[in-house]
Amino acid sequence: MMLVRAFVSHYRRHPIQLAALAMMIVLATMLWTGVTVLTDQARNSLFQSEEAVAARVHVVRSDGEPIGVNDFVALRLAGACIAPWLEIQRPPPEGRVIGIDLLAMGCFGDAAPGGEAGTLDGAPFVDISEAVRLSGEEYDSRLYLLAASENPALPDGYALREFSLGPATGELADSFLLNLDALSLLVLLITGLLVRSVHRLGIAQRQHSFDLLHRFGVPRRRVRQLLALELVVLTGVCVLPGLWLGAQLAGMLGGGFGQALDSLFDVTLYAGSTESLPWQAAGIMVLLVLAVCLVDWVVPQTWQDAAVSGRGQLVAVAVLLVGLASVALAQGLAGVFLGTALVFAGTGWLTPGLLAILAQRRADGAEVYGTGPLIRWRLRELAVMFRHLALPVVALQFAMATVLAVQALVTTFENTFEDWLAQRLEAEFYVQVPPGADASLAAKRLSELEGIGPWHRVIRGKARITAGDSGKAMGAEGESVSADLFALTPIGDLVSDWTLLASVDQPWQNLERGGVMINEQLARRHRIEVGDPLRILLAGTEASTSVVAIYADYGRPAGEVLMSGAELPENFSARFESFSVNPGELAMADISEQLGSIWNTPEVTVRDNASIRALASQVFSQTFLLTRAISILTLVLAAVALLIMGWVFFTTRVWYFRLLGIWGLPASAIRSQLRRLSVTLTLTVTIAALPLGIWLTWVLVSRINPLAFGWSLPMDLYPFFWLELGAIAVLTGLVIAQLMRRQLVHRVSDKQVEA
Amino acid sequence: MRLFSRFVALLIAAAVAACSDSSTETGFAGLAQQVGEVEESGFQQPQPGDTLVFPDDWGPHPQHRIEWWYLTANLETSDNQPLGLQWTQFRQALKPRAVESEPPHPQTWPLEAAWMAHGAVSYGGEHWFEEKLARGDVGHAGATVEPFRVWLDDWRLEATAGSDVWRLQVKGDGWSYDLRLINTGDVVAHGNDGFSAKSASGEGSMYFSLVDLQIKGTVTLGDETLKVSGVGWFDREWSSQFLKAGQQGWDWFALHLENDEKLMVFRLRENEGAFVSGSLVGAEGEVEPLSGDEMTLTPAQWNESAQGRVPVTWRLKIPEQGLNLTIAAPSGDYWNAGLYPYWESPVSVTGSHNGVGYMELTGYRD
Repeated sequence: MMLVRAFVSHYRRHPIQLAALAMMIVLATMLWTGVTVLTDQARNSLFQSEEAVAARVHVVRSDGEPIGVNDFVALRLAGACIAPWLEIQRPPPEGRVIGIDLLAMGCFGDAAPGGEAGTLDGAPFVDISEAVRLSGEEYDSRLYLLAASENPALPDGYALREFSLGPATGELADSFLLNLDALSLLVLLITGLLVRSVHRLGIAQRQHSFDLLHRFGVPRRRVRQLLALELVVLTGVCVLPGLWLGAQLAGMLGGGFGQALDSLFDVTLYAGSTESLPWQAAGIMVLLVLAVCLVDWVVPQTWQDAAVSGRGQLVAVAVLLVGLASVALAQGLAGVFLGTALVFAGTGWLTPGLLAILAQRRADGAEVYGTGPLIRWRLRELAVMFRHLALPVVALQFAMATVLAVQALVTTFENTFEDWLAQRLEAEFYVQVPPGADASLAAKRLSELEGIGPWHRVIRGKARITAGDSGKAMGAEGESVSADLFALTPIGDLVSDWTLLASVDQPWQNLERGGVMINEQLARRHRIEVGDPLRILLAGTEASTSVVAIYADYGRPAGEVLMSGAELPENFSARFESFSVNPGELAMADISEQLGSIWNTPEVTVRDNASIRALASQVFSQTFLLTRAISILTLVLAAVALLIMGWVFFTTRVWYFRLLGIWGLPASAIRSQLRRLSVTLTLTVTIAALPLGIWLTWVLVSRINPLAFGWSLPMDLYPFFWLELGAIAVLTGLVIAQLMRRQLVHRVSDKQVEA
Repeated sequence: MRLFSRFVALLIAAAVAACSDSSTETGFAGLAQQVGEVEESGFQQPQPGDTLVFPDDWGPHPQHRIEWWYLTANLETSDNQPLGLQWTQFRQALKPRAVESEPPHPQTWPLEAAWMAHGAVSYGGEHWFEEKLARGDVGHAGATVEPFRVWLDDWRLEATAGSDVWRLQVKGDGWSYDLRLINTGDVVAHGNDGFSAKSASGEGSMYFSLVDLQIKGTVTLGDETLKVSGVGWFDREWSSQFLKAGQQGWDWFALHLENDEKLMVFRLRENEGAFVSGSLVGAEGEVEPLSGDEMTLTPAQWNESAQGRVPVTWRLKIPEQGLNLTIAAPSGDYWNAGLYPYWESPVSVTGSHNGVGYMELTGYRD
């Protein structure tokens, strides 16, 4: 018992150290728990939204007649799993209402649109009988019969068509989630470093006590056991509130995300309401704390000494170079991740020493050039701090680099997503050509309409392409590959804003003249470049053409060829046709009615792209907000850690700073020196974080994404955000200086009292 | 007497969907409502003295809240392996309707009634089950008297034109059956000329059975199609108010004994004690109502199962009839894991008499 009391007496004398360590564990657990929960929830939510909005199929009559209740009954009696979906279009503020039949959806199982919704509260799903009542005579309604799977057994006279509630986010979301995972790992690394830094500081100060205990006959092994026990107890106590706080944090941040998903897809999609605390996150945190704090016991002292020696620095440089080479050359994700870990390890290893050397050299230089002694003092003190605060400095550097990368990534994703939406939903309305209807007549009518905005007809089908005369192989020599064909006519303003990754001059004019555009996926897979000749086989007719542009496809895995509709052979059989229409001065309802009369059907499928686009943007904005929140939290934690460390460290140097006063420096000048010292420290770390952050951004968008998904994101830099980070660094420095000032005043008054 | 709580719970969801003003405070969608409340709701309630009316009672009773058509069968494969089989179709009304009234038009997707069908096969210690749901009056689920037909989607029980044979076709995921049923006995009216009391305070239902069904057909499990034959038990039951508030579940047995007698016994578990009743059908078709005073029905062995602790073996004693039976389910898990799970298993009978039958247990889920 005596031993235990002696053991923990350090914390009785230095309660702030205990509080700092406890606070770090609580904050680290909170952050890790929050990130874990949010990442899981984002993953589940996006998965559910995918499930809900992914292209489904609905049943249509082969004779083109509108589907009705009788068809529903006939199909169900034949054993097909289908469910009615009655859409009522009401003007705002009521908006769209969808009538569904929960009982009929029983056969969908978990894949039922609307998930496991047990109640229908009219936002926008209502029971289908209620929807019929609401529609009355006043509003347009349209009945669909949704099918459970792509291949239900249908009796003769029926066929399947695609049915979608909104744009499927597809691989864009997958890519985003992968990056979110990477962020989580970085957060774990940073929290580990922070906890270790605080713990190491305490251990360094207690070393004298441990030596004393040893001299009194306590074996060093026993001291270690007690130290481990102390850490286990402290971690156990601190992890619980951290866990709870993390769950609260996630709940707070996740609420907005859930609301956005709900409003986008009209379905309860947010998978955030986890009842229990994420205990696995607590387990990982306990292991992490024990590992980072007790790692010194398993690493031989000679290794630790070697690590900070000149030879150790050389090894760090080697690790860094190997990491950089690995990331640049790796052919798989594992190599990139390993390389990234090596780069972080090497950077973290080198940074404090390099910064200390730089500060020392500048101090030496200042001496040579006769610069003031205060500057030299400050630079030397800075060099000391870089060495003594190595771990929190590295943690702050990593955190800042991560924040930089995440910010760039998120902004890039946002822009990309906007482009993706612009490409997919280029027009305000999308009109589906009914099976058997003549799209040419409709195109003729549209071209005659005065006041209509830009529009085009899209003819979809399949094409086979073969490398032209350039000798480039598309697979085996002479082998042709299948690709989705999109033929546009006329080619106009709706597509001219597309992001082209590479193109000849005047690509759209060249497309009209017979060239083809291909998507990024096809170009990457078969190494096709702009200007390459291609042979394209359509309806048995082969034509020679060339690639006039490669357009971004944002993750669509299928190869695509885009060409002018005028170049299609007469006998080409379209698989699917549609019109993209901006109604301009006309009302879409009138245009739809005219198309209906041409096609001799009262039911023309018109999709309002503008509203889908607005809602889709909303959900992604929330997702991005969430990611930013996580990264900012990481930064705040790192800043707090530096603050605590700086404060604790400075308390050990107060006697030294007081000497400045004894040398005759006025109090205001001492405060000024402290401010400069701490701000220089934090700003230097920010500057050191910049190259790492930029490199990490490049890794995320240009290495991980192409390797994982086969398509790249553009790499953009955002210097204004660097300035914002610099401002945060200055603020952190000023707070440290303020704390130090209080400490100095406190000590001085103590001395005065003693005197 | 079966499953009404389960089905009613489903109907709660349907009712919420329809108008979201139905109360769940009166028990299973109002089945535990007091008599006065039932009258207020407009549903008719069977009374002692009510009699069965044929052929109408084969069809739906839109003025009553709930009813079902229920078949259980103890079959054997061509190599004499026992195979149990169940088909049930329930109708639950959310709104009463006079028999003579025209049903609402399908175009309005009415929700005045909902249908649920259950199909199950028990064979070799394994149990296959599937559930189907539908709203009434649209057309893909319903029941008619002439011709006799009960259907939900592609599951159907129907009289074959020009013969006394019924055909039952059910297709689940990876299993199906196609059976011919011939009735060789009379209709058995339970209780008081068809009024079957469900509590001492007067709640009850109209209830009759066909207990002499000869069944033949095929059962397909995966890629294997089995020829089967055996005996079946078919129930028709309807009411608007079965249960007293506080009744927790029930245990129901339908048994074919080797001496050609048939026995139906049920026990409604209440907060204190239980309400027990039944019918004994003699070899010549004579029906003897059984009251709780005449018999004891007690669990003899409990098994842990996937969803709760279940009494899988029972003792049934009816001293005046010389019956002292042990009723046991075969080993296996026989939960019908639908929206509202319950246990439905074939049973073997030993003791003073041997036999086969079916057992349904509700209210044992953890």
